[in-house]
Amino acid sequence: MDEEDNNLYHDKVVIRLIQFSIIWAVLAMTVGVYISAELIWPSIDFGQFWLSFGRLRPLHTNGIIFGFAVSALMATGFYSVQRTSHAPLYAPRLAWFCCYAWQLTVLLGGLSLLAGWTTSKEYAELEWPFDIVIAVVWVCFGIVFFGTIANRKIKPIYISNWFYGALIIVIAMLHIVNSLAIPVTIGKSYSVYAGAQDAVVQWWYGHNAVGFLLTGGFLGMMYYFLPKHAGRPIWSYRLSVVAFWAFTYSYIWAGPHHLHYSAVPEWVLSLAMIMSVILLAPSWASMINGIMTVSSASEKLKTDPALKFIVLSLAFYGLATFEGPMMSFPSVNVVSHFTDWTIGHVHSGALGWNAMITYGTFYFMVPRLVGVELYSLRLANIHFWMALAGTMLYIIAMWGAGVSQGLLWLSVDEIGELSFSFKDIMSSMTPYYALRLIAGIIFLGGTLLMGYNLFMTLAGKHALKVYAPAVSPAFGVSS
Amino acid sequence: MSSEIYSFLLFKSLYQPTEAFKQLAQVDPSPVGIMLRYSLWLLILPPAFSLIGAANFGWRLGAAEPLMLPTQALLLVSCAYFLILIIGLLSTSIISRWMASTYAASTSLGRHVALITIVGEPLAVASLAHLFPDVLLNIIVLIPTMIWSMFLLYKGIPIVLETTSERGMLMASSLVGWLLVAAVSLLGMSMMFWTLGVGPLLGV
Repeated sequence: MDEEDNNLYHDKVVIRLIQFSIIWAVLAMTVGVYISAELIWPSIDFGQFWLSFGRLRPLHTNGIIFGFAVSALMATGFYSVQRTSHAPLYAPRLAWFCCYAWQLTVLLGGLSLLAGWTTSKEYAELEWPFDIVIAVVWVCFGIVFFGTIANRKIKPIYISNWFYGALIIVIAMLHIVNSLAIPVTIGKSYSVYAGAQDAVVQWWYGHNAVGFLLTGGFLGMMYYFLPKHAGRPIWSYRLSVVAFWAFTYSYIWAGPHHLHYSAVPEWVLSLAMIMSVILLAPSWASMINGIMTVSSASEKLKTDPALKFIVLSLAFYGLATFEGPMMSFPSVNVVSHFTDWTIGHVHSGALGWNAMITYGTFYFMVPRLVGVELYSLRLANIHFWMALAGTMLYIIAMWGAGVSQGLLWLSVDEIGELSFSFKDIMSSMTPYYALRLIAGIIFLGGTLLMGYNLFMTLAGKHALKVYAPAVSPAFGVSS
Repeated sequence: MSSEIYSFLLFKSLYQPTEAFKQLAQVDPSPVGIMLRYSLWLLILPPAFSLIGAANFGWRLGAAEPLMLPTQALLLVSCAYFLILIIGLLSTSIISRWMASTYAASTSLGRHVALITIVGEPLAVASLAHLFPDVLLNIIVLIPTMIWSMFLLYKGIPIVLETTSERGMLMASSLVGWLLVAAVSLLGMSMMFWTLGVGPLLGV
């Protein structure tokens, strides 16, 4: 019995993290829908500071990235590292600590943003007390993850764990370096960096947070769950390893492409642009690996609607990873920067890639975790079409808005004067913003359907007891 | 092959797309025949409507008075529009055929050209909205039409290319990936041209 318990996977914490992830998705997307409505009807902040766009926007982004995405990555990371290591979680109580401490941090951090505490660094707005707590919880996450790998019963470390491992190490490094600051009060600090250096460090953080959290972490999810869905090994394991190292090497340089036409030296910007273009190769290598894996298992789509989400997420991943390098060209960036095209680009990744692959993974995991069928396949199918329609509508509306903005506010007349005023341009954006609002409502509606579907699937059920299987001596760690 | 298929595709595929897909699955049309007798007639509509609309009403971007361009400039824009549509149709058809072997689908190029044309036909017809080139009107008309076109793509591939619906779904998603990348490339290339001084007068 003791021997059995020592091999029992810890899945209750996985279920709890999935539940938190869905709650954050619904809350943060609702805030997103609200602020998109504020851009059409600015007076719906009712004169309240905490309802203003400036405070709700970081609440939306932090809620999605740290609430929805990180909870999903912790859930899928804990689930897959146990199964690929053939060992239960190392320090399961620490895993529970990570789960609840993280949710509390996101909750209190969100409230602090509403109260107006902010460093004003994009995606790193939380003030120094939260930065310290985040670093502590993140290190605990690393201890659980790498401890499980250290305890593994099987010799090879599967590729998904390399991506999750890079996520943990690089995000810790980025977060700690970028958050170095001198505290002044409990709610205010000043960065130790100044001027252009501050900007370079901030976008080294900002771009690699996108790279290693929203791309690398989710590639880890893809490399484990897609072959599991498909019931096939990954199409080319060698390609996945090459893609991992190329991705890790080239991503870290690309951040300054956010700072074109600024006080940063031109060689830094050119280097960032070149590395951004090189990055296309490992990004698409993973996309092709995923597509080819699922191509040989198409019959699975009959019984597994969740697979559709993952397949489509790869198409949007392909788009976002092509669009990003293209927008890093100075000649494109001069028009696209500071326009809604950037917002559309971020959402082609966030909605089309991150959210869709997470939805597909949750639809796969939840029924298996409790040993029942999904409550409603029909609702999952409706959700798929809502997610697709919402994402497409969002991207196209923002492409339209972004190109119009770029064109209009750079237009000059014969004597070199600006042809249009900022106010006139912004007031012409209402149709695009209305479409974006509709897109957001459709996407949020789909997420609510999934929440209901998975809530009904889980209702009254308990996690199945799953034990680590025996490992062939040929692959054991002692061989 | 009977020439009736061309007139069937041209007129009835708009309101009987499933029937058109089934008919197309039974023939192996010549790609040149499909282009000349079906696709080109549709591809000419958006540039033609755009030319007429912009010449009479001007482009209405919402930020200022309607933008009235000289006829010669409008002709140039419409010719470029037509050319891009032809390149778009041919490249998508060729990529679709390239993908077909992966998904055990038919590799008849004529079928691929016809399929992509059927999928794009609602958009070509809805480009009637270009007759009044107001951004809001065009968005309201063209975005729902585009969603309908995407639905036709997912529905048409398994029927026309004789593959299973699951493989068809995978292939359609791959083609959506290609179309998204192609669309964003067009945006990027346009911006590069503008920055280089071709097109609108920008202060860069």
